[in-house]
Amino acid sequence: MGPDRGLPVTAVPGEDPTGAVEAKTVVDPTAAPEVAAAEVPPEILAQSLGQYLRGWWLRVRSGNSGVLPVVLAIVLVAVVFEIVTPEHAFLRPSNLVYIFGLSTVYMVLAMAEIVVLLLGEIDLSVGAVALVGGVIAFKLVQQPGPAWPWWAAILAALVCCGVIGALQGTLIARLKIPSFIVSLGGFLLFSGVLVIVLGGADGFVAVSSAVPNQSVIYYLVQGVIDPVAGWVALAVAVGAVGTTLWLRAASRRHQGLVAPPAGLTAIRIALVALIGVAVVMICTVNRGGGIVTVKGVPWVIPIVLVVLGAWTLLLQRSRFGRYVNAIGGNPEAARRAGVSLAAIRTWAFALCSATAGLGGILLGSFFYGQYSTNTQDPGQLVLYTVAAAVIGGTSLFGGRGKAIHGVLGGLLIGGIAYGVSLLELGELATPLEYIVPGGVLLAAVLVDVLSRRGARTGSVSRV
Amino acid sequence: MSAAPGEPPTGTVVDLTAAPEVAAAEVPPEILAESLGQYLRGWLLRVRGGNSGVLPVVLAIVVVAVSFQIANPKYLSPQNLVNLFEQSTVYMVLAMAEIFALLLGEIDLSVGLVMGLSAVVVAELVQPIGWGWPWWAAIIVALLFCSVVGLIQGTLVARLKMPSFIVTLGGLLILEGAAILVLGGTLVGIGNSRFTNEVVLYDIFWGRFAPVVGWVVLAVLVGTAGTVLWLRDARRRRDGLAAPPPSLTAMKIVLMTAAGIAVVAICNVNRAHYGTIEGVPYIIPIVLVVLGAWTVLLQRTRFGRYVYAIGGNPEAARRAGVSLPAVRTWGFVLAALTSGIAGVLFASWQVSLTTNIIKTANSYVLLAVAAAVIGGTSLFGGRGRTIHGVLGGLVIGGIYNGLYLLGVLSQWIDVVVAAVLLAAATIDVLSRRGAPRQS
Repeated sequence: MGPDRGLPVTAVPGEDPTGAVEAKTVVDPTAAPEVAAAEVPPEILAQSLGQYLRGWWLRVRSGNSGVLPVVLAIVLVAVVFEIVTPEHAFLRPSNLVYIFGLSTVYMVLAMAEIVVLLLGEIDLSVGAVALVGGVIAFKLVQQPGPAWPWWAAILAALVCCGVIGALQGTLIARLKIPSFIVSLGGFLLFSGVLVIVLGGADGFVAVSSAVPNQSVIYYLVQGVIDPVAGWVALAVAVGAVGTTLWLRAASRRHQGLVAPPAGLTAIRIALVALIGVAVVMICTVNRGGGIVTVKGVPWVIPIVLVVLGAWTLLLQRSRFGRYVNAIGGNPEAARRAGVSLAAIRTWAFALCSATAGLGGILLGSFFYGQYSTNTQDPGQLVLYTVAAAVIGGTSLFGGRGKAIHGVLGGLLIGGIAYGVSLLELGELATPLEYIVPGGVLLAAVLVDVLSRRGARTGSVSRV
Repeated sequence: MSAAPGEPPTGTVVDLTAAPEVAAAEVPPEILAESLGQYLRGWLLRVRGGNSGVLPVVLAIVVVAVSFQIANPKYLSPQNLVNLFEQSTVYMVLAMAEIFALLLGEIDLSVGLVMGLSAVVVAELVQPIGWGWPWWAAIIVALLFCSVVGLIQGTLVARLKMPSFIVTLGGLLILEGAAILVLGGTLVGIGNSRFTNEVVLYDIFWGRFAPVVGWVVLAVLVGTAGTVLWLRDARRRRDGLAAPPPSLTAMKIVLMTAAGIAVVAICNVNRAHYGTIEGVPYIIPIVLVVLGAWTVLLQRTRFGRYVYAIGGNPEAARRAGVSLPAVRTWGFVLAALTSGIAGVLFASWQVSLTTNIIKTANSYVLLAVAAAVIGGTSLFGGRGRTIHGVLGGLVIGGIYNGLYLLGVLSQWIDVVVAAVLLAAATIDVLSRRGAPRQS
């Protein structure tokens, strides 16, 4: 027989069923209170932009505010520092580009740390490992000396750091020593190794912009892309990202799978374009001191975007990433589901340390290609890193975090660190350099803990 | 059936320590043992069951002493040994501070900077040109400061449920800034010549008893401690309660006396190249007082019992009515207070404090944790005693002193200490594998 003769069932999958003329109820799946508590992103359930926004607001109120706090914080910091900086110089293009450059180090390190934080662990050695990685790369391109090609030196440094991370990960994952102890020991160990590799307390290694092989590393942060090329690259990047996003959403809609509302995808593409245009414009303003012309996007910005893209893909769209999130959310459940806890944990620590090594190379480039024992305090570096990750929205308890958090948090920390140094505070300057990040870290973690009070996920198990 | 309570039934010699449950149970053999032989057997069973107490650290001390003596014959000379004691005291007190946090299953990463802040505050307050406070007022204020810091950190951890390593990490940063602020960018020195208050502070570390006074103090201390121990055990035996065998008590008293005599004798040897420097340094009795007070607090008070309970099983403690937030907060207050005491010793030791020294104070936290873990305190909570801090501090001080004597550069010393810390932590974890408790 044919279908039920009651209501004509003519709906195509994905469309609302037709009929029921008197009560044209539009079912809003995002309005259900369970949605707020559940971890299902409203973009999966929402049928329209309005529903999406309502669902998102519900999630924010229930404690899962994502990147909202850090975005607000960035705006706040920008406004406050613009007001209090002498001559309101904070938002000057030259300062902004400096902040971009400084932040990239924190961004990369924070993205490294996030992989470990997602597991519910912590890696306190990222600072020391980053510096060791940077110094290894710098040492390998020295002439006279090893004089390795720059790509080989960078690769070797990353592999070394990866091995270091794998060693720490093994101690943590297989011997079950608490991660903060292993990484604390690693921090001490590699602080010592750093001085050893540099050849003593007054050791020093530099890359020069004159030597072609070394200049590649030097220009990682200090070098710029020609402005015209910058605009072209922006257009290509935005075009590629936009097209991918649109086509993916459209194909899901076409196949009848749940997909974000079209308006949402359009807004996202517009946001990416807007930010890209703003960044390129800021970088294209001539920031040389009137004697030289310095303009263009620093190379490090696309590099960081590539890392961001790679880590987002890894954490959001690969099986490894899903396992990492699973272990962070509920390790026992992940274990029973067949995830190899030890393997994933070891790989996570290896990835974290390798990425930290990349951050260390960028740091050396940022400091004009010079590395000495005084370049950066590894302890301060790790504190800034953890602060950046947590402020960005990653939870210390595991199970919640994305690569973009590292980028936003790193930007905020870079802005705060540089902003504090711009204020001519005289005697207060050095103490504030410690107090402000410490205070910001505590505030961020407090927000993280308090926001979890509302959530019903089970990862906070403290009695 | 004519046995009095506490005595084995007539006819049979029951060796309560031989039961396999003894090894697994946390009951110390001195409660069950009826004779010295049974005690030793019970103790050996416990060691094999994973609960080795101070045995590893005592072995470590022997290994360190022997190795470094072979490498440098001057290592065990009286002059160097006193140096070693003196340098170890700061590590010992910091380790005792850290143990409060570790016993609760937490960690306090700010102990180094609390020490630094306390040192700076004390030094600034006794400055004759400036604050000019009496030494005892300066010390009290510094310790108050530290207690407040501990109160804030403890509240954040215990009531707001923030992870302790993050709270103390942030606290560490803030305290570093605060210490630099108090220092005001310059150097503050503690002289030893003219102004009384400064001299007292200076003498805390560098002063010493006259040799005769040292012997008298030793006699008094050993006499008191020995009498207390003996009378306490005798009363328990008389009341029919479980008590250690008399031979065990006697052995403990003899060991204590021997150790005391050795220390005083070593210290009384003249260790100056020119002139005379001899006698027990003041800091040794100071550290012993702290050790004694904290041991009594942890082993023989209700608070101490609650600390161990929370460290062992927080949920069980909570259901038994222990106030977790209160005990945890107090634990952090005590940790900070003890770090403050270490700060007073540190100020006296360094004599002049600069911004750089504050930065190095940060590295002491790793040594404190290493000392506590090497001494036998568990990172997971519930297991540890104040004496572990003293013994572990001695090992760390011994390693530092030995490597320094051999001319090893400080970066290599860092590497060695890190390796020792990791080894100790591994042993801690592996030793827990045998225990039937949940980890």
